[in-house]
Amino acid sequence: MPTTSVVITTHNRPHLLPRAIASAQAAGTDVEVVVVDDASNDETAEVCRNLSGIRYVRVERNQQVAGARNIGILNSTGHYIAFLDDDDVRLAGSLDLQAAALSSAPEAGLIYGQALINDPEQVGTEMLYLRRCPQGDVFWELLEQNFIPCGAAVFRRSCLLRIGLLDQSVPGIDDWDLWIRIAAFYTVIVIEQPVLVWRKSSPTSGQGTSRADQLVKISTRLMHRKWFELQPAVDACAKKRREVYRRFSKNMASHLAFETVRAVREGSLFCARRNAVAALQLHPWSSVKLALSLTLRKRTSKQRHPD
Amino acid sequence: MLRLITQPHFAALKGIKYIHLDIGQGMAGARNVGILASAADYVAFLDDDDVRLPGSLDVQVEALMNDPEAGFVCGPMMMADQEGNLTGEVTAPKSSGGDVFWDLLEMDFPAMPLSVMIRKACLTRVGLLNTALLTLEDWDLFVRIAELYPVIVADQPVGIYTKPTASSGQSSSPQARLLSHAARHQLQLFRLPRARAAPAKKRREVRKRALCRIVDTLLWNAVQAIPQRAYKFACANIFAALRLNPQRALRPRGYRKLRMILRQRAG
Repeated sequence: MPTTSVVITTHNRPHLLPRAIASAQAAGTDVEVVVVDDASNDETAEVCRNLSGIRYVRVERNQQVAGARNIGILNSTGHYIAFLDDDDVRLAGSLDLQAAALSSAPEAGLIYGQALINDPEQVGTEMLYLRRCPQGDVFWELLEQNFIPCGAAVFRRSCLLRIGLLDQSVPGIDDWDLWIRIAAFYTVIVIEQPVLVWRKSSPTSGQGTSRADQLVKISTRLMHRKWFELQPAVDACAKKRREVYRRFSKNMASHLAFETVRAVREGSLFCARRNAVAALQLHPWSSVKLALSLTLRKRTSKQRHPD
Repeated sequence: MLRLITQPHFAALKGIKYIHLDIGQGMAGARNVGILASAADYVAFLDDDDVRLPGSLDVQVEALMNDPEAGFVCGPMMMADQEGNLTGEVTAPKSSGGDVFWDLLEMDFPAMPLSVMIRKACLTRVGLLNTALLTLEDWDLFVRIAELYPVIVADQPVGIYTKPTASSGQSSSPQARLLSHAARHQLQLFRLPRARAAPAKKRREVRKRALCRIVDTLLWNAVQAIPQRAYKFACANIFAALRLNPQRALRPRGYRKLRMILRQRAG
């Protein structure tokens, strides 16, 4: 049985996939790479056939990321499981380090690491993500925001038999939901060093961020219906839950504000309006911030186009 | 939902793999965890109130081994009431197997978790049970499997199904809600590539027949529920039937049984 299984889900990105696979194989000595091809209709199958040492699983009907990851987990055999997106890169030796740390902490369910953010438009500028890494009982901190980069986490397979698989009904935040469920029952540890190069999403990269308002809506719903129903939240006093919700909505609203400004810059005003409305509903203070950034943007554009 | 009492009880049983989920996952999520924890090549589901007949698993395994193309095998079920007495009814698929995709979509193929054994390798191609669905996740999965694989129908009964009643509190009790959901979900299933590739006329026909079938079932059960004084259940069914296909629901034939009962009482 291999120590760690890396589940790589991919959909129509054969040009990026080999790099991700190679990085996963180099990240540990006893690593099983499971590639889940989520109904790609291009040469992904061809590309994978030429790669050795991977377990290639093809899903005929698109299952979205959560469904594909579940299928990857079903086809994996390792003690520990890590996810990797097809456009991200694992750093060499990182999986061995994390697996060793996790096996020496039997009460921990998950270990994560830092990530280097790579902006595809600016080659060579890599930013360290997460300078302060919370560990131990991180349940409440995770409720406020998802600070664990999906590719930087390694968790025990046995956790899933207590808390269930990924939830397909919450597309886009299925990983966050899983981390929260793990943190509700296990401690979370961290190695304070980069383990992942994370490609920053841009609206053209086809990643989920174009629907920021939707994601926020789903996470707000989850917060009330599911996360606050978990044991640690039920045991806590109502004041604590209110406080956490306030911080969560503030984080979400500023995220939406950021996305709004970006959408305006990209010229998709419809998207910007949706995000702005969602931000206003969540946290009014962020809307002030939003308005400020928008006016600043208008001024600069007027300077550029004097007509 | 497992209560605290059940945990020590099951943990003491020999020869089973007992998993305790600390967070309720719903039917689909719990079954997915079961699939993850299982090591065999074939999967069968069993609800806690149903019974498998002796030897039925061996028969189904053999059927799947003899036909490596098939996605799942299903067989007849015997019906029992809430006390566990056989009612004498047997639900068996009318079709002889093979390609049952359209039959399943039309709800004309009684595949239930109890009567089915699935080849696990199929799940990798079509996906696990959809946790986004609160009910009907089994029908959804069977349709997705039948889209790509032929299906075997065996004639030997495989299990005893405890029939839900209007008051038994099972998930199938609010039948009106369940079948309305089924009618809605069928439109989602029409988006599967194979259904999409079919001519629109075919889809319309299947839709029409399925709605008629749903309406008939709703009315039949409503009429049965009236003598048991389950008026709320009956009303819900009749309203749902009227919403789905008013023309069919207003047909006097659907109420023939009710007329018979009323006449019996009067006479």
